[in-house]
Amino acid sequence: MTCSPKRQAVASRGPNSEHPTVNAGAATGLRLAGVQTLALTRRSVITEWRQLGNVIPGIVFPLLLAAVYTHQFTRAILLPGFPVVDSFLDFVLPASLVQSVSFGATEAGTELARDIENGFFDRLRASPCTRLPLLLGRLCGAVVVAAAKGILIIAIFLMFGTEIAGGPAAAVVLVTAAVLLVIAIGGLGQVLAILTGSQEAVNATFPLVFTSIFMSSAFFPTNLMSGWFREVAEANPVTWIIDPLRRLILEGWSWSDVGQALAVPLVISAVTVTMAVVALNRKLSSS
Amino acid sequence: MVASAICGRGMRRIMARPILIMPVLLMPLIFVLSFTGAFVSLTRVEGYGTDNVFNWMAVYAAMQGAVFAGVGGASTTAEDIENGFFDRLLLTPGSRVPILVGTMAYSALRSTIPTTGVLLVSALGGLRLPGGPLALVTVYVATAGMASAFCLLGLAVVYRFRTMRSMILIQVCGFSSMFLSTGQVPIHFMNGWLHAVARVNPVTNVLRFARQGFLGDLTWTMTWPGLVALGAMVAVAGALAVHQLRRLTA
Repeated sequence: MTCSPKRQAVASRGPNSEHPTVNAGAATGLRLAGVQTLALTRRSVITEWRQLGNVIPGIVFPLLLAAVYTHQFTRAILLPGFPVVDSFLDFVLPASLVQSVSFGATEAGTELARDIENGFFDRLRASPCTRLPLLLGRLCGAVVVAAAKGILIIAIFLMFGTEIAGGPAAAVVLVTAAVLLVIAIGGLGQVLAILTGSQEAVNATFPLVFTSIFMSSAFFPTNLMSGWFREVAEANPVTWIIDPLRRLILEGWSWSDVGQALAVPLVISAVTVTMAVVALNRKLSSS
Repeated sequence: MVASAICGRGMRRIMARPILIMPVLLMPLIFVLSFTGAFVSLTRVEGYGTDNVFNWMAVYAAMQGAVFAGVGGASTTAEDIENGFFDRLLLTPGSRVPILVGTMAYSALRSTIPTTGVLLVSALGGLRLPGGPLALVTVYVATAGMASAFCLLGLAVVYRFRTMRSMILIQVCGFSSMFLSTGQVPIHFMNGWLHAVARVNPVTNVLRFARQGFLGDLTWTMTWPGLVALGAMVAVAGALAVHQLRRLTA
């Protein structure tokens, strides 16, 4: 086995290299990185599965909130300016979805911090393992868990009578957007984990995520808010994700809504994951 | 003596590490800002009870803070059990009940931090006191009572399971009991099962008691059910905690 810097140098020469052995080396390196990512993803999912107690509140709490709000906002949905809905349940689905996946989103960072704290990360570094799977493995684990949660939440809402006007394709967009959001938050958690090496510091991002959801259009439309709170909610990226998802549920399929719902978390994910890769490279090169 | 020492130890811990105040204070402040900001238009719905959203939501956020303060108080015992300090406490002669009372008193005292924070922020937002200064007294009594009740409930769980992780049970219980009450809207706004649950939820009566001075004058009709509910919650949670403590030390 070769070490990762060598493998990256080999890969950077590209497919047109004159040396077939180099091409073969790059292909082997990529395959190896895939295998390592898969192994770490599997480890991450098994860890979550063994700690279901940590996953369940992330499903139960958003559902409880949705159930409570549906029964207490029956008069509020009649307010002028509120979107036309049969039930508050239809309105709150994207919020519940985002809330549910956000609960475990920092887990990718927390797990990495735990590995740094208990020395497992150093053992991985000492092994002939490429760098990227160290991050991707945990992110992919969070993605698998988020997708499962998303499907479950949508299924429960459908059971209770929610109609998705955009059809099954819109449901797929809902889950995809939620998964992208998890990558965005998970990437941020990993940056903190690498910089601080502390689970506590990563967990401290949870109130930030929690606040971002509450200070958005998640539970009430922004046109019915006022003052500084409305401005904050309208400038909040969570609103930019939730609003198009909500239109897909209430109004039907629209490519522009699909584009917005996916582009916003995708851009944030690209930024946070890049930051995590840079932080990891700096950490590895400084030690 | 033992009770006041334990209560004092908790407060000194907070004074020595002010960072510990942040979680207790932060969440209720987020709640009051989020709920008043997001649900401001509820005041336009007929029958809401006030035209100032802070007058409705401030008490709710303060009570949420009190529940966190209570759970936090029980968490210190979980920490003591995990690091062995609790075993040393049990080696001391005398009754075990003051250990429990001291932790409860610490939680009640700790609840004044989020309550004061929420009231100050709400005052900046335009909170009014139609019931006069007595309105503040009812809020502090209610939040101290809620913190005590949830601390005792938390202690019952901690004495039973002896781990910090078990506190999640009480957190879920606290969150649920607050959400299944008249925290955000009056009871006549609710329908279906939520209406039925909120009617029998003791927190509804505590909220009525605490909120009355923010919606109008204080009345005995609104006061006594709240005090009875608080007393009953503390008594039941206390009995459970004492039972589990005796089991633990037997």
